[in-house]
Amino acid sequence: MRICDLTLVQASARLAGDGLYWGVGPFIVRLKSRLPDFNHTFYRLYAHHRLLEPDFGGVSDFHIDLHPSRGMRRFWHPQVFFALDGPTGLAPFPLDHAVPLFEWGFNYAIARRANQYLLLHAAVVARGDRAMVLPALPGSGKSTLCAALVARGWRLLSDEFAAIRPATGLIHPIPRPIALKNASIAIIRAFHPEAIIGPTFPKTRKGNVAHMQPPAASVQAEEEPARPVWVVSPKYQPDLKRPVLDPMSQDHGFMRLAGHSFNYELLGARGFATATALARACRCFELGFADLEAAVALLDGLAAADAGAA
Amino acid sequence: MSVVSSFLTVWRHPERLIGMAPAQQDLMLRMARCSGLLATLDARLQQSGTLDQLAPRIQDLLEGVRIYAANQERAVRWEVNRIQRAFFGTGLPVILLKGAAYHLRNLPWSRGRLTSDVDLLLPEESLPAAEACLKQHGWVAAITDPYDQRYYRQWMHELPPLHHPLRQTELDLHHAIVPRTSRLCFDARLLLERLQPVPGHPGVWTLCPEDMMLHAVVHLCHDGDFQRMAWRDLLDIDAFFQEFSSDADFGTRLMARAEALGLRPSLELAARLLTRVVGTPLPAGLAGQIRQHAGGICESCMVHLLVPRHPDGQGVDPGTLLAQELLYIRSHWLRMPLWLLLPHLTRKWVRNWSSDVWPRRSL
Repeated sequence: MRICDLTLVQASARLAGDGLYWGVGPFIVRLKSRLPDFNHTFYRLYAHHRLLEPDFGGVSDFHIDLHPSRGMRRFWHPQVFFALDGPTGLAPFPLDHAVPLFEWGFNYAIARRANQYLLLHAAVVARGDRAMVLPALPGSGKSTLCAALVARGWRLLSDEFAAIRPATGLIHPIPRPIALKNASIAIIRAFHPEAIIGPTFPKTRKGNVAHMQPPAASVQAEEEPARPVWVVSPKYQPDLKRPVLDPMSQDHGFMRLAGHSFNYELLGARGFATATALARACRCFELGFADLEAAVALLDGLAAADAGAA
Repeated sequence: MSVVSSFLTVWRHPERLIGMAPAQQDLMLRMARCSGLLATLDARLQQSGTLDQLAPRIQDLLEGVRIYAANQERAVRWEVNRIQRAFFGTGLPVILLKGAAYHLRNLPWSRGRLTSDVDLLLPEESLPAAEACLKQHGWVAAITDPYDQRYYRQWMHELPPLHHPLRQTELDLHHAIVPRTSRLCFDARLLLERLQPVPGHPGVWTLCPEDMMLHAVVHLCHDGDFQRMAWRDLLDIDAFFQEFSSDADFGTRLMARAEALGLRPSLELAARLLTRVVGTPLPAGLAGQIRQHAGGICESCMVHLLVPRHPDGQGVDPGTLLAQELLYIRSHWLRMPLWLLLPHLTRKWVRNWSSDVWPRRSL
């Protein structure tokens, strides 16, 4: 069963009632919300995710409740709160920003709890079971490039987390909507008109934000991990006429990965061993790009060449 | 069986978790998580050798919290090492309180216990030297608001917390275990007379077992944040009793010590709470000396609040809110006289209401 197998009314009733149970990658979430606008957007963005019945016979990793202000604040500049098994320290957002709050809060929840994985701050896409890790510098164009690759047929593992099992070195998918910021929203709309993109939320902490629905095929492959093959550190450079792919040593690749991690230090020696093994398994590159189509073609070429060589 | 008695059963006999229905297991794990006890429960499951009988998804979830707790313990041990380095050659003693002390003494229930900051006890006259020394070695004030700084220095039993920006750790320097202004205040030099060295860590000290336990008692009975932390404090005390239950004299020594420090009423309250909520049998030598009475309003409030909350907020009735308020007032009432308390609370109240998220919409 998928969430889109329910009608919006049915899904909203579950969300507003005892909670909607659904899965993403290795996680099971129970989500509660009585906010009609949020429920509507959630239903669109997470349409392909797997739906669970309340008596599915297991435990949930995250019990999330999005609830509006209580008391007088219901009337005066109302806010929305992200509760994870009770109150969290997360600052509330204005009520009409429940979707960015949910996405941000869910990232927080995963980053805080899922320490059975090494969690790198990187987008991950794959061809079959061969994964390309795109570690992020803010403003590097990681999400935009990730959305473009996915639009041209790459499998989305995650726009935010490279979740690696220390025991196997495999990357586990957590396919969720891709957060597009500011100019990227219009760029991706033009690049891939068929993309399903939710409403634009103005003036969040990261500027304007909109979310692109992950492709159904990526969500359906959510239980198939991929092995790391490439590390590509992207950098958007507006003056560049053609994209440039420069090889980078595995040492530098390692620094890019470990330097942008949610829990690398928390995992201690295990984090170091996992990140070095990842860098050693990969060919590492820096990618300078301006034109998305050309950048995607270049990375397609890389994947095709490596497939031929292998 | 009520939710709470199920939880206590799992606490006492972790292997009972295995036979429960998934929905019940889910609730137990959440309740443990909400009270900061999930990693401790995991440690108990490991000790009982039954961890691998749980569903793989539960084992997976527990692995995440186990790694988190292991890192916290590692960080605490490293922080103690850094403090020793900073104090080296200054003659300042390293005396650990609470979680850090449990960890370095390898007390059995410290396995999986979440400890986010380090608490040190120092003779009051050494505080300025210790603070200056730590600031030289990279620690900075965690709160900079002048009113808060003054409040801590003038009235509290600890300096304003210090923070290490590189390691992201917090350090509290105590000169006593109850505030200066508290009605329970006693001469902290009494604690310093009975310190014990930590085996394997030369130069590191903790309170003696009775004082360690009385510190936990004070924390349980007099902290304002009753709902959030008290349940864990209570189970700390429970663990103390279990640990020392083989020592026939422990109860007697504990009571004598409580008497000497003027903490007998607090110890009696904690013992009654333990009996009423957890059902722990008290050690010999203590049981006979606890005055059993019905208990006042405060005690009823505490029992009401000590019961772990249902994570979905079920059971938050007006009675709970009232009990919370009463205990909050009580903790402040015990902490300082009214002429200090009223201006302080007014100030806090104004500050809480003047800040607002909305004007900073683009955070």
